[in-house]
Amino acid sequence: MRMMSPAPLLPPAPLKRGASGFPSPADDYLDTPLDLHRHLVPRPSSTFFMQVEGNAQAHAGFHDGDLLVVDRSLATRPGHWVIAVIEGELCLQRLAGTSRYLWLCSAHPNQSRLPLEADGDCRLWGVVSHVIHTLHATDRER
Amino acid sequence: MFALVDCNNFYVSCERLFAPHLEGRPVGVMSNNDGCVIARSEEFKALGIPMGIPTHKIAPELRRRITLCSSNYALYGDLSARVQSVLEARVPGLDPYSIDECFLDLRGLPDDLEAFGRELATAVAHEVGLPVSVGIAPTRTLAKLANRRAKRQPVRPQVCVWYDATTPELETVLRELPLTGIWGIGECLQARLAGQGIVTAAALRDAPRDWLQRRFSVVVARTARELAGISCLPLHALETPRRSVLCSRSFGRPLGDLDKIRTALRHHCQRAGEKLRRDDLQASTVGVFLRTSPFLGASQERSSAWGEFPFPSADTLLLNRLAQALVVHLWRPGTVYHKLGVMLGDLSPRRYHQPSLFDGCDSTRQERLMMAWDAIRQRFGHEALTLGVQSATADWQMQSRRRSPRYTTRWRELPRVGSR
Repeated sequence: MRMMSPAPLLPPAPLKRGASGFPSPADDYLDTPLDLHRHLVPRPSSTFFMQVEGNAQAHAGFHDGDLLVVDRSLATRPGHWVIAVIEGELCLQRLAGTSRYLWLCSAHPNQSRLPLEADGDCRLWGVVSHVIHTLHATDRER
Repeated sequence: MFALVDCNNFYVSCERLFAPHLEGRPVGVMSNNDGCVIARSEEFKALGIPMGIPTHKIAPELRRRITLCSSNYALYGDLSARVQSVLEARVPGLDPYSIDECFLDLRGLPDDLEAFGRELATAVAHEVGLPVSVGIAPTRTLAKLANRRAKRQPVRPQVCVWYDATTPELETVLRELPLTGIWGIGECLQARLAGQGIVTAAALRDAPRDWLQRRFSVVVARTARELAGISCLPLHALETPRRSVLCSRSFGRPLGDLDKIRTALRHHCQRAGEKLRRDDLQASTVGVFLRTSPFLGASQERSSAWGEFPFPSADTLLLNRLAQALVVHLWRPGTVYHKLGVMLGDLSPRRYHQPSLFDGCDSTRQERLMMAWDAIRQRFGHEALTLGVQSATADWQMQSRRRSPRYTTRWRELPRVGSR
């Protein structure tokens, strides 16, 4: 499984060390098993799962059948991968622009910029926070 | 101060979230079995198609212009829980009132409640993607009215705040409002109040309270105080406590075969038992009803039979055994049935293993069996463990031909996104 995050992950917090130089036994006491769901979905009420259809964005790491984690509450920045509504359809798109103006990069060479409107034919639905790619295709049929 | 947050055309908005092409189009959602229309978009209402109309009675020329969806309760339930948690994170207290409404306790919040109401509506729209309207007032009864007012506003976010009960706008509303528009006043009570000359909300508010209490009830007197801006109705005052559990459904197509009816009955017993245990209740009586179709023109045979448990119980197996014995009594060869239901009555809080010579209850073994039963079905799905064989395509199963995918609760039904 491979994951991509639009924002760099914070470096892991260093272990607290006691006087002896070994990790404090209290750290062990507080530890709970790592929960991948909570790691990938810190805000469950605004997070939705979707599935990639087709290999049009395979060059960017999105393959047919990949699982997308989409968080509606994330702030958008140029370079983010997003789910957009284009003419009534949910689509996987890349955001581009400046800090003030954002648009979608279209795959069509003759129309490279799709402007975003709050209530129009082209608007944002949510921000893709992770893409989860399963290596062995048979496992997908769960 | 209280707020009532209500999701606008909730079922339709849920359908539109993952099917944006339905926006701006007339969309209706149908009841269980696709029988009648239970939710309508604004565009659907504008076509003049009434609420509750049987689906087959919608004129064909209108049918072509509208989209009808089967109800998708898995999706609605999931989105409802999300709306609640978004709101819950922002207020001191929240009481869900129905799948699409909840009351918020706004004590201790900043003075500008209009800005706060807009913030709530914007947060739900942004994070969950559903439109809500917010009514804020000193009492729950008034918050409900403020919410209705908010819904009429043309621009979003729809928020209406009445800081106190003497606001001129509120006065106008109460003078024109018929009694049935008030939370907790039904048609029967309205008729009785009208007999005493009370026909508007303002008249109820101004009636002498002790007279209301003597003549009608404490709840009516309190409702009058609530209209005057004094909060005195606890949320649960207007809820009827669970007095019975009912699991019933029309068959997908009329059934005459006893074996099939008994299979359907097992399914209902399973659900009834689960509802009972979820609310930590036990039942003393079981009723089964089996009805013929009101549309088939045959003589309406409405028959039900009740049985009694040897002691109050929450055991699905015991419930099923009793219900199966009852249905055999009801069934007549050659009759075609339309609807089957199980009712549990005389509910009481569940007592755990209190062995008594005269006053039995479920044994520890039964309790543990039912706990394992619920745990298995919760963990491995409802098909993992059933009473007897239950085919997913059985005749009595719910008809939901036009149900949208369960986008948020099934891996196989996730929304699929391509790129353009």
